Amino acid sequence: MPDGSFSHPQQRQFNPYTENGGTILAIAGADFTVIAGDTRQSEGYSIQTRYAPKVFRLTDRAVLAVNGFAADGNMFVKKVKQRLEWYRHAHAKDMPLRAIARLIQTMLYAQRFFPYYVYNILGGIEEDGSGAVYSFDPVGSYEREACRAAGAASSLVQPFLDNQIYFKNQTAAPGTSHPTHLPLPDVLSIVIDSFTSATERHIEVGDGLEMYIVLAKGRSAQSLEGMRGLQELSTRPDGDRVFVIRKELKKD
Amino acid sequence: MDISFALTGKGYVIVAADTTAARSIIKMKVDEDKIKVISPHLLMAYSGEPGDTVQFAEYVERNLRLYQIRNTHPLRPSSAASWIRGALASSLRSRKPYSVNLLVGGYDTSTYTPHLYWIDYLGTMTSVPFAAHGYGSYFALSLLDRYHDPEASLEEGLATLRRCLDEVAKRLVVSPEKYKVRVVDKDGVREIEL
Amino acid sequence: MSIMEYNGGSVIAMVGKECVAIASDLRLGNQSLGISSHFQKIFPMSDRIYLGLPGLATDVTTLKEQFRLRLNMYTIKEEREIEPETFAHLVSSTLYERRFGPYFIEPVMAGLQKTPSGAYKPFIAATDLIGCLNFAKDFVVAGTASTKLFGVAEGLWEPDLEPEDLFETCAQTLLNAVDRDAYSGWGAEVYVVTKDKVIKRTLKGRMD
Repeated sequence: MPDGSFSHPQQRQFNPYTENGGTILAIAGADFTVIAGDTRQSEGYSIQTRYAPKVFRLTDRAVLAVNGFAADGNMFVKKVKQRLEWYRHAHAKDMPLRAIARLIQTMLYAQRFFPYYVYNILGGIEEDGSGAVYSFDPVGSYEREACRAAGAASSLVQPFLDNQIYFKNQTAAPGTSHPTHLPLPDVLSIVIDSFTSATERHIEVGDGLEMYIVLAKGRSAQSLEGMRGLQELSTRPDGDRVFVIRKELKKD
Repeated sequence: MDISFALTGKGYVIVAADTTAARSIIKMKVDEDKIKVISPHLLMAYSGEPGDTVQFAEYVERNLRLYQIRNTHPLRPSSAASWIRGALASSLRSRKPYSVNLLVGGYDTSTYTPHLYWIDYLGTMTSVPFAAHGYGSYFALSLLDRYHDPEASLEEGLATLRRCLDEVAKRLVVSPEKYKVRVVDKDGVREIEL
Repeated sequence: MSIMEYNGGSVIAMVGKECVAIASDLRLGNQSLGISSHFQKIFPMSDRIYLGLPGLATDVTTLKEQFRLRLNMYTIKEEREIEPETFAHLVSSTLYERRFGPYFIEPVMAGLQKTPSGAYKPFIAATDLIGCLNFAKDFVVAGTASTKLFGVAEGLWEPDLEPEDLFETCAQTLLNAVDRDAYSGWGAEVYVVTKDKVIKRTLKGRMD
């Protein structure tokens, strides 16, 4: 209207969320866990950056992978790290993995009606020295599993993992049984294959791969030695240890 | 919404359909026959859009009768079902498609085998050991998964049908009170009082 | 509610060494309600060509009949059997004929193509619902579990698999993909086409 008012009711909306693509994945072994994620960050068909980490070391025995809305993911990791630091100041030790998992549930559910738009996968070593993976939905439902894929290419990767990790649809030779946990080199190959496959068929996956490896206290790091792009991140050599392997993925 | 069931057994097909004709929340009629006897060894239970159902059933009936007159032999169940499916499939992409779901049961007098076809208004057809249309399917299919036996005698088959009808009577809010039940076997078609 | 997901179902085809494989699930459903666990989606078009038709079930039957007719017409006119590549174009043009009122099917085909030297070359192809052809060198997928099929196939497939290994790869890919898809599954079947025989196997799968 001439006075600047509208003749029809107007509606405006602000969408506080976006999807930033990428995929994460974690597999637990008997005394180790591998947590991996690609490093591409995209919005629609545009790549915002080829290196935006989605996997974060929380403690010497816990690694968190976050995928979905990157801003929420980064904020969430920041807050988890802050809570873990407070715990360290209060108790003079790192929070156990199962406790971190429950903490993440509470933190996610606290935002039940304005959720962090992220899927979380927590991997690491339990207090009993076993490898563990905890996967979460955006509002905090969680479960301990042997493996999990999440994110843009989860539907490509998860059935592959069902086959290769859980041996689904495979019958063991007579008198034998499938292993419950695979050795580290096998797991690393499966992780790499998963990401190269996802990169090949999904436009939002690629650029780089970061594989965090958490080894239980006392387990030798022999099988990792000499691997290209390996870096140790642990603060002490005599406890659980964290390593990262960085690899290139296709950039198209 | 109409409810219909059908199951095969040793040398027979049982077809059952409820007998209510409803408009909105009103029962207009409680003795409507919704199973058409198409030929001496062929039955068709129909349900769906009122009007379309009878129109389509009669269209099928007359065309299959015409085939029988021209060729002296009636179409065998599989061919008849294929023709009916074709009619629905071409109707689907016409200006005014028929909304009719069917269960076609027949006894093949050349191979001495019973046949049952599940057909929906889109022209989807599949040969099945047992079938249902309408809300009844949500109750009956799981029961039939458990109790159906392709080698069962007619008495056992009817007992299995009874289970389905009882379950619908027990659990469905708007369950029908009466069903018409027909059987087709080597002797042809006959009605059965449960 | 998407029309392509109304009945459910998936198909995959793979190339091997002097052989091809094509596999599908056997489910027919009405959205979440399972109707039949014997609904075939793969049909022989000649001794060496197999066609998979995932999508709307009524169109599966309609197109199967349509292709039988067109193939017979071709064979009569040409006095020879059709070659896979020609057949792929027949599929494509049949679907494109209905460009603005399509059949809701994404066909997948596999066959062995005769080369001028008399040998047989593996051939696979797929099209979208309006007939846009995709001649892949490795594998093609379609149906409600297509994303899952892509993921597993990309991980398991390798070049020059022998018939038995190709069968295993194809079967494992399909089984593991449909187990993560609510609309596909309820059993499966696999065809392996080699130059002197066709092996058909019906697989047991999860029934949930």
